[in-house]
Amino acid sequence: MRRKLRIYLPFVNAGMQETATYRTNWIFMMLGNVLGCFISYFLWKAIFLSGDNASMNGFNMPQMVVYIFLIFLTATMINSGGTYDIGEEIRDGSIAMRLIKPVSYNGTFLFQELGNKLMTVCILIVPLVAGVEIVRFRLMGEVQFEVIRFFLYMLSAAFAYLINFFFNICFGFIAFVIKYLWGANMMKNCIVGFLSGQIIPIAFMPSVAEKILLILPFSSLNYTPVMIYMGMYRGKTLLFYMGLQMIWVLFFWCLSKILWSVSIKYLTVQGG
Amino acid sequence: MIEVKNLRKEFKKTVKEPGLRGSVKSLFHPKTEVVAAVKDISFDIADGEILGFIGPNGAGKSTVIKMLTGILTPTSGACTINGKNPTQNRKKYVREIGVVFGQRTQLWWDLPLRETYSVLKEIYEVPEEQFKERMQFLNEVLELESFITSPVRTLSLGQRMRADIAAALLHSPKVLFLDEPTIGLDVVVKHNIRNAIEYINKQEKTMVILTTHDLADIEMLADRIVMIDKGVNVFDGTISKLKSKYGQIRELNFDTSTKDAGKKLSYVTHFHMSEEDITVTEEGSTIKVRFNSSVVPVSELLFYTLNTVRVNDISVKDADIEEIIGRLYQSSL
Repeated sequence: MRRKLRIYLPFVNAGMQETATYRTNWIFMMLGNVLGCFISYFLWKAIFLSGDNASMNGFNMPQMVVYIFLIFLTATMINSGGTYDIGEEIRDGSIAMRLIKPVSYNGTFLFQELGNKLMTVCILIVPLVAGVEIVRFRLMGEVQFEVIRFFLYMLSAAFAYLINFFFNICFGFIAFVIKYLWGANMMKNCIVGFLSGQIIPIAFMPSVAEKILLILPFSSLNYTPVMIYMGMYRGKTLLFYMGLQMIWVLFFWCLSKILWSVSIKYLTVQGG
Repeated sequence: MIEVKNLRKEFKKTVKEPGLRGSVKSLFHPKTEVVAAVKDISFDIADGEILGFIGPNGAGKSTVIKMLTGILTPTSGACTINGKNPTQNRKKYVREIGVVFGQRTQLWWDLPLRETYSVLKEIYEVPEEQFKERMQFLNEVLELESFITSPVRTLSLGQRMRADIAAALLHSPKVLFLDEPTIGLDVVVKHNIRNAIEYINKQEKTMVILTTHDLADIEMLADRIVMIDKGVNVFDGTISKLKSKYGQIRELNFDTSTKDAGKKLSYVTHFHMSEEDITVTEEGSTIKVRFNSSVVPVSELLFYTLNTVRVNDISVKDADIEEIIGRLYQSSL
């Protein structure tokens, strides 16, 4: 275990340095996300103002605002570029350079991205959580921040990231067959965005759809951590959904291993 | 010790009919055909040997190298390197090899060069002491000092190639694969890289498999040549064997003072040779005769020429490897 850590830790370091190299790009990406977040905010504001009820599907306006910002924070933290990276490496053939190293293909991606995530989380977490709490305080008139719930949220977000990472890796292996993934990746992002509650809270879905979606792995990505932070999952419910997250982590981890051993046989290195 | 036996690799290829119609058709009814990039290749390499692995573009060299390095899985046949099968336990196997693909880089594109080496140090679990020694050694041989702190993306091609070779050698591999390590480099850098490869081969008895289109690399470095074309072996042996087998072409240059010397000399009728075995070109007062010395010995041709015309000066040229291989490539096309 310690030996493994020694091998993969330099990838974390390298991932951090890479993020730091292209910091302007990173800032613009974050700004883009924030803009999207505000668009979502104004949209929901209009919806709530036009409706007669102060609350919709168990969400009132202040809760909706908190939900929007938390979803944004979570989505940014758990976002994984595995699909895109694998697709690119297969398209230009640079996958060969990763295969000549005595390391696991998935492992290098995971730890490199963890470095990148660590930077993002360290920079974003304090201002964003503070922002969310200030908004909550102004809208509801009380401070609801609980340290334990925050840690549970972080833990749940970490599970969510692992699910997302291995899911993306599995999806990326399609590139071994279809060679270029850009279009398929766009489609996947839209579907996952919708099914994981990033656009509309899952509670807003028809009740049958809601039940199905809550079991599917997508709700484990964004929805579960946010519900935990907002205090909507407590006690047994919380344990159930976190347990479900762990099962999905395990599932996609195993699936990625199986798919890897199958798809590596189909590898053709493009471009000489 | 490397053993390659009846290695074969097939790829599936989608065939598109020409034009827009073809594109639309292949969208709904993709036609695939199986192409064998490597059909049947066998060879052995002994420990400490430098093998020149050559062949025209598209012969299947890179595909063979990719199978030997565990990147691609062979369709059939086997290769074992020091008793190990590259595709069976890739992670364990690649510890023993170093690979340089001249057209790609294994260096960390956005990081200073030094960082790549410290990542590699951990990956290959090189102890600190040994790492320091090794870096010093590679520094001396490949002269990395001046750019080791620059980000890799800012390096020139020559610097990058030296850095790549150093990266492949950091963990003292037993086998070194070099796929076109001198591509696009200037004469001086090429020379340095050849020297470095030779030095490391001599010092550490590293087995080197070298593919290149620069035959000077082969002449300087390789103990043996394996030539392939269209996925099959064409030649396997030493350079001198190649020369004696295919190198009977000689070129004689006569500087004559006789007018119309070319007309007086009729080699074809005199020696009853076929036109293929001899070409005579006349430039001013020099006559250039290229002929197959296995049909007519050099001495006889000289004797005849000297008796027929007045000759001031003679030069004899051996066929060089470039020419032999050029002819082999063409004849096998």
